[in-house]
Amino acid sequence: MILRLNTDIAAGGFGLAFAALLWLPRGEMGRLSIIFPRAILVLLTVVAVALIVKGLVRPGDRRIEITGSPRRLLVVAAGFFAWWVAIGQLGFLVSSLVAVFALVWYLARVAGPVSLVRLARWVPIILGLVVAFYLIFTQVLNVRLPTGLLI
Amino acid sequence: MKSRLSTLAVAVSAFALFGAAGAVQADYPERDITYVIPFDPGGESDVTARFQEPILEEILGVGVNVTHRPGGGGAVAWSEFQNSAEPDGYEIIGVNIPHIIGQPIQRSDAGFETDDWEIITFFHSTPNALIVPEDSPFETLDDLVEYARENPEAVTLGGSGTYSANHLGALRLEREADIDVTYIPFSGTGPLPAALEGGHVSGIFNYTMLGVQMEDNARVLAVASEERVPALPDAPTFKEQGYDIVGGAYRGVAAPTGTPPEVIEVLEEAFAEANREITEKQEPLGFVMEYITGEEVDEVIGTLREAYGPILEAAD
Amino acid sequence: MEMLLEALASLMTFESLITVLVGVSAGLLIGSLPGLTATMALAVLLPFTFSMPPLQGLIALGAVYMGSIYGGAFTAILINTPGTPSSIATTFDGYPMARQGRAFEALAGATIASVIGGLVGVAFLLLLAPPLARWAVAFGPAEMFWVAMLGLTLVASLSSGSLLKGLLGGCVGMLLSTVGVSPVGGETRFTFGFPPLQGGIELIVALIGLFVIPELLTMAAEGKGALPQGDEFGKGEMRISRVARRVLGKPVNLIRSCLIGQIIAIIPGAGGNVTSLVAYNEARRFSRDPDSFGKGNLDGVVASESSNNVMVAGSMIPLLTLGIPGAPPDAIILGVLLLHGLRPGLDLFTETGVLTNGFILSMGLAALMLLPVGLLGAKLIYRVVIKTPYYFMVPFIAMVTMLGTFALRNSLLDVGIMLVLGTVGYFLRLIGIQAAPIVLGLILGGIAEEGYVQTMLAAVVDPIPWLRLVSNPLSKVLAGLVVLGAGTALLPMWLERSGRLRKASSGEEEKP
Repeated sequence: MILRLNTDIAAGGFGLAFAALLWLPRGEMGRLSIIFPRAILVLLTVVAVALIVKGLVRPGDRRIEITGSPRRLLVVAAGFFAWWVAIGQLGFLVSSLVAVFALVWYLARVAGPVSLVRLARWVPIILGLVVAFYLIFTQVLNVRLPTGLLI
Repeated sequence: MKSRLSTLAVAVSAFALFGAAGAVQADYPERDITYVIPFDPGGESDVTARFQEPILEEILGVGVNVTHRPGGGGAVAWSEFQNSAEPDGYEIIGVNIPHIIGQPIQRSDAGFETDDWEIITFFHSTPNALIVPEDSPFETLDDLVEYARENPEAVTLGGSGTYSANHLGALRLEREADIDVTYIPFSGTGPLPAALEGGHVSGIFNYTMLGVQMEDNARVLAVASEERVPALPDAPTFKEQGYDIVGGAYRGVAAPTGTPPEVIEVLEEAFAEANREITEKQEPLGFVMEYITGEEVDEVIGTLREAYGPILEAAD
Repeated sequence: MEMLLEALASLMTFESLITVLVGVSAGLLIGSLPGLTATMALAVLLPFTFSMPPLQGLIALGAVYMGSIYGGAFTAILINTPGTPSSIATTFDGYPMARQGRAFEALAGATIASVIGGLVGVAFLLLLAPPLARWAVAFGPAEMFWVAMLGLTLVASLSSGSLLKGLLGGCVGMLLSTVGVSPVGGETRFTFGFPPLQGGIELIVALIGLFVIPELLTMAAEGKGALPQGDEFGKGEMRISRVARRVLGKPVNLIRSCLIGQIIAIIPGAGGNVTSLVAYNEARRFSRDPDSFGKGNLDGVVASESSNNVMVAGSMIPLLTLGIPGAPPDAIILGVLLLHGLRPGLDLFTETGVLTNGFILSMGLAALMLLPVGLLGAKLIYRVVIKTPYYFMVPFIAMVTMLGTFALRNSLLDVGIMLVLGTVGYFLRLIGIQAAPIVLGLILGGIAEEGYVQTMLAAVVDPIPWLRLVSNPLSKVLAGLVVLGAGTALLPMWLERSGRLRKASSGEEEKP
């Protein structure tokens, strides 16, 4: 998918938005703490404005290209966040089993419908790998993974 | 909501594992204990915990898992612990003075309170030490004080962090000696030897451990303990030289508020025994072993809060 | 000399050799997982070393350190994700090479470069430790400020295409570094009243998010893996001897990268995170064909990997002589030394010289061991990455990434930060803001701030405080280098911009 977008203005706009986000809570800080962030904030604003001016006068790229399917991109991105929320609520092991299985299924569908037999054959592979990583982290590396409601 | 869910989860799993929740305390401990260190691996807190780990495991008969939760000078782990740890004795956390006193006064959003837990024990302390390079013109503490009095703000003292034990020690020296020095915070103890050897600061206000470590190329002018530290027998205390400065960092361990007293007692004894067994390794490094428990904990915190509170609030 | 032989003899035991072998392999494995750093590898190992004799414990630590820094190159080349921050620069050319089906060439080149780098570092440590140590202490707050500024001039060359966008990324990175507790002043900043943010944004969390997540999203959107089926491993064009000849055939690049690695390694605090970036930048600056960098030039991989492995032994110089940890993992090694009653200092090289030299030599041994272990590991991992269908790769890399990020600080919030930065990073990449300048800003922001504010604090008695920044000879030299570096980076760009505007903007479009 190709979108028409002046990337210079977009980048400048992002810079200004980011600067504004941090500009607001800057007030109550002491001199030693604010001196550096303030300098960078000013610099960021200058650079962002320069980019916008350049975008108006002598723009660089005026289109962006998302290779492949934007819908898949958004679904997978949303899937990652849902997975993250689930880890906190349900625990790492269960939510990862579900999330990995769901993502594998969703991504494999690109090449055509996935038969039930194939799905069934993936179960032991996914189960084995997820459990293996879970055990390596909890038992060998001694990391206390989130447990939530389940495990 | 989240904490209620996890409360439920723990209750359910405890029920499943032990049949009845009431039976848990009687045979404490029955499963692995998590020992959270709120700092990076490799620091003093971590190294000490690693020493204690095998001894605690032997005494308690269950596994003790040391995990790290660094961030915000300890505050991230402490606020999380006070908000969500279960008071069953299976989760304990390292606590440090003055961090737990200073941060809630200093920050509006520290996320934890100085008293909202049961401190099991403070097991050792590291007194502050004032260290100058070997080629420094200051032979004694008096030299330094005299020079600082004539040249306000010209003496620069490096230390670890802002409103840390080092910073507070330096501020107390300013009060006691009625001088004005410039304290320069560094990120941790790591960069301090370089700052001292490279002559980037006139001296450093750090812990006795660094004094021991740098024995060959630096001079310890004074130590902020009641008596001389075994590892630095030649270094005089501030008290000997007429300044009432005693202080430094205390390290200990806490359990969540509401942990049954029997559980606290078991842990208290285990840590005391661990302390006795590692004395031989820790004392030569400059640590001072402590056995502060029960009411003494409140006393220590109370005294130090009185000593530091006004300094902190004045600086705010 | 006698001491060296004795130390060598103490290494030539079965236990020592096995320790090095196991250590290197374990380090390699941990280092190649995104999120698991050298520091973490050492921390995991720490309790085990307590039960070992001092020399064996140190050998194990040295071997794991060496292996994990090298392991970072694997993921850098195969999935565009630096396993450790020290291999950021390896991605610039390693990944394009892999996409062209030259993954093995990149991996083999990285291995050979790492072995050479590791050995050079050991040689420096063995022969020149005391004189070089004096260098380390010369870097005070003002000097560190200039070192950070010097690092920032790299933005110019890291921002392929638009300098302004690179600068913007650098600024965003530096601002991200200020979230949390301020280094001087101790106040919380930009936490928006949310206590867990006091911990700030950890470099590795941002690094993983900004590099790996966009890559996963791209794979998902395109519906295919990123790497083509390459030649059969170790055959024909891909023979190891051929790659070796290509690497060794450019000794100037190797020598320059190793020297850069060594110089930066002894600057305390700057550490390994920037060595590979600087070495890469210089390799490109001095190359006859600078435009080929970033498009799959083996020299870029060699520069990055040789310099970061010099750093392993190189950063031990200030550590062993003065007790100054040059890079974060060194702090753990310092702890172990102290626990065994070994006080850093010149005594370490004389009184307990056998032990110290044994430790140093074991790192050389570990570097040599990288060759067989690394090539074997490279073969295995390469095969796994190529053979695994993309629909398995994406979820599993995501899982390992989340695990690694979580394990770093036992923080689920960090996983969320990683995902947010990664998703935002994907879109920023679309509009021409690359991940590298942001990460560079994040690395250097803290160093610059601390140096600047400390200098200003120390200068309260001076009439014009900021003159302190250039009061020492070394800080003057560094400031001059910053001006020079910025000048040489900007000048060609300016010429190109004014003269061949069309060409510059078309170059921008080539980037994915």
